[in-house]
Amino acid sequence: MSSFLDKLHETFIVDDRWKYLVDGLKTTLIITVFAVMIGMLIGFLVAIVRATHDRTGKFKIMNLVCKLYLTVIRGTPVMVQLLIIYYVIFASVRIDKTIVGILAFGINSGAYVAEIVRSGIMSIDKGQFEAGASLGLNYAKTMKHIILPQAFKNVLPALANECIVLLKETSVAGYIALVDLTKGGDIIRSNTYEPFLPLFAVALIYLVIVVGLSALVGKLERRLKKSDRG
Amino acid sequence: MIEVKGLKKAFGSNEVLKGIDTVINKGEKVVVIGPSGSGKSTFLRCLNRLETPTAGSIVFGGVDITNAPEKQLYKIREKMGMVFQHFYLFPHLTIRKNLTLAPVKLKLMSKDEANARADELLKKVGLFDKAESYPDMLSGGQKQRIAIARALVMKPDVMLFDEPTSALDPEMVGEVLEIMKQLAETGMTMVVVTHEMGFAREVGSRIMFIDEGVIAEEAPPEQFFGNPKSPRLKEFLSKVL
Repeated sequence: MSSFLDKLHETFIVDDRWKYLVDGLKTTLIITVFAVMIGMLIGFLVAIVRATHDRTGKFKIMNLVCKLYLTVIRGTPVMVQLLIIYYVIFASVRIDKTIVGILAFGINSGAYVAEIVRSGIMSIDKGQFEAGASLGLNYAKTMKHIILPQAFKNVLPALANECIVLLKETSVAGYIALVDLTKGGDIIRSNTYEPFLPLFAVALIYLVIVVGLSALVGKLERRLKKSDRG
Repeated sequence: MIEVKGLKKAFGSNEVLKGIDTVINKGEKVVVIGPSGSGKSTFLRCLNRLETPTAGSIVFGGVDITNAPEKQLYKIREKMGMVFQHFYLFPHLTIRKNLTLAPVKLKLMSKDEANARADELLKKVGLFDKAESYPDMLSGGQKQRIAIARALVMKPDVMLFDEPTSALDPEMVGEVLEIMKQLAETGMTMVVVTHEMGFAREVGSRIMFIDEGVIAEEAPPEQFFGNPKSPRLKEFLSKVL
């Protein structure tokens, strides 16, 4: 027992090595939060364009652009996208690597969010569109006030899952020398030659956040369920 | 009030409406009956352009709906209430919000005005106590009464009913027809697609028999039911009465 405490002390306390984890976690959370926001924004826009095109035939060119985006993003690994954005697109620009991470993961997540939201829109009875139209609401107003709120509720679990996946996917950020949570733990490992404690600490932190997020989403879902029978 | 001329509608190669000509006057209660697949619902849905006609014209308030630009179309729809077979209430909103959403978002009424109007109509359909409930907590008959109130909030000039009782359990048909009767008595112009022959006879000022995409016969109810002319209508009535 005392040797375990010694090891803990040696791994995390000496030289303030715990700071690698705290700073890494900060970076991970910043990237995740902003990437989720970008992903949601892109995702909803793409989903609306795609769903509107499928329903009304409008937005032909935008729909093609969206389809191309979905194919490329979903057809290539997020790590490759990250590397390309950092080493190719921003090759000659001095830019905060955190921002590169946010952009890369946000653009990547947007593609998955788009398909989730589109499936939500398609799950709504077309009678809801007609009811909106019959009251004089145009397509945009019907979409905003009638279709999207229902679609959002239907896909909330899937969206939450996407956030969780995104949080974990940011662990490849170390490949562009970003010190995120995973990289922080790995630095401790390479300094102490002790893999067990730092890596399990990293895993534990991810797990706690994911479990916390899941609980939060559960709460939100129950609140949105108010309108259902029972 | 509504003038329909040479109305045709085809879905692909399937021609559902083959030329409908009729005039619906203010205050009339036109009941549309006919076998399923005859085109009666399609006819109704053309009136507010939920279906875009293939040919012909529908003039309402001096405007041809069939080629009105979208902006104008939505303005026209404000004046044409519609009640659907499957209600299509907005499940994510309370009953009160179901009623007030359109007038408020279209800036036709302030929130307070819309709420007052909603209260008044909810009382009329006997569901004032459900104002804060959600649609899924109501029975089918209650949902349809709310759907009627939702359409009436807009102060429409005409009300279109697309088989409003066909999806209801038998014991709930009466309460919905009762509301429709009350509405008819206020002088509302109504076009009702239904299979309820009793309602047609009692409330209709004119019965329209649509068969195979054309108006096969139309007449006031006494004549329509008492002295049908075409063999098709005789056959149809012998099956449903």
